Amino acid sequence: MVILVSAVLGIALASVILYLVRRDHLHGSYALWWLVVAAATLVVGVFPHLVDRLGELVGIAYPPILAIILGMGLILIRMLLMDVDRSRQERTLRRLTQRLAILDQELGEARAKLATLESPPAAEPAMPRKSAQVIVLPKSGGEG
Amino acid sequence: MNKPRRPVLVVIPAYNEAATVAEIVRRVIAHAACDAVVVNDASSDDTSAQAHAAGAAVIDLPLNLGAWGATQTGMRYAQRNHYATVATLDADGQHHPESLPAMLGALEQDGVDVVIGTYTQRLSVAKRVAWWYFRLLTGLPVQDFTSGLRAYSRRAARALASREASLLDYQDMGVLMLLYKKGFHLRELPTVMSPRKSGMSRVFASWFVVARYMLHTTVLCFARLDVRGRIAQRVVSRAGAGA
Repeated sequence: MVILVSAVLGIALASVILYLVRRDHLHGSYALWWLVVAAATLVVGVFPHLVDRLGELVGIAYPPILAIILGMGLILIRMLLMDVDRSRQERTLRRLTQRLAILDQELGEARAKLATLESPPAAEPAMPRKSAQVIVLPKSGGEG
Repeated sequence: MNKPRRPVLVVIPAYNEAATVAEIVRRVIAHAACDAVVVNDASSDDTSAQAHAAGAAVIDLPLNLGAWGATQTGMRYAQRNHYATVATLDADGQHHPESLPAMLGALEQDGVDVVIGTYTQRLSVAKRVAWWYFRLLTGLPVQDFTSGLRAYSRRAARALASREASLLDYQDMGVLMLLYKKGFHLRELPTVMSPRKSGMSRVFASWFVVARYMLHTTVLCFARLDVRGRIAQRVVSRAGAGA
């Protein structure tokens, strides 16, 4: 009965991970990591006695603790990597924000310059409208 | 491809400083005879419009990046537009734009890379204790760590515009240690400052913020312990040269 429960849990978890990887919800190294986790869950779920064997092999008095120790160790490593990745993303986000703002300022300046070139001098109000239609600035796309 | 270098850009980071920013910009343009860029750090008031009307170029950040993030934006703008020197100044009226010529002069004459304008009389007891602690931790021979009144050479500004400096939050220990690590020479110049006219200190805003700041900066100092030895060497060699 215990084996059945662990097998069902293992298969369910592995299926969910596989589904997420296949649907492109996890990318690159994350997908690889989780595929390994899915495989490990499947194997340990279907053959839970493997952990007991392994525990005996390495001389652990209470073998089930091995799975917990390994699991916690992997969670810690994963969390550390997540924070490293978050810091990298934060750096990129800040750089992008700065660049976006600088480009936005340059765009505004260029538009203002163009507008002064386009607009007819005040002294000659009878300028033909055609000259103002030559340059049409594309409107900025969707707000990002 | 070498474009002619423009002389000086004054970077003014501003967060909700509509009351003072226009006056500061006008005084900068009048007294320092240089270009001014206001980096509007996602203010909710009309800081941006006020600065623009006063004659500054305005960079509007879409997200609040904090004091250093805004200042660094100005450094990157200076790089992009080939400015030879960058000066920074707070928008709240504490720093006098009239002291910029002296600072820029010191930068040129003394052959240093960074000039920090300091006014140690303004430091409260809490700040003095905090700075004493950080001096002990870092070995930095600086009187006022958070002064935003500074002048940077092109090389120093380029180093601070890099990715390496993008995860810093304030223009203080992290920036100074990075500059020391890169081998730049710093100098402090006594200046006059006024009490802040508007806004509030982003570092010393509340006890919680102070505690978080002290903790973060302590961690940062420990992470850069390798720089400490270099700073100590530099201080000793300078003392030796002076003797």
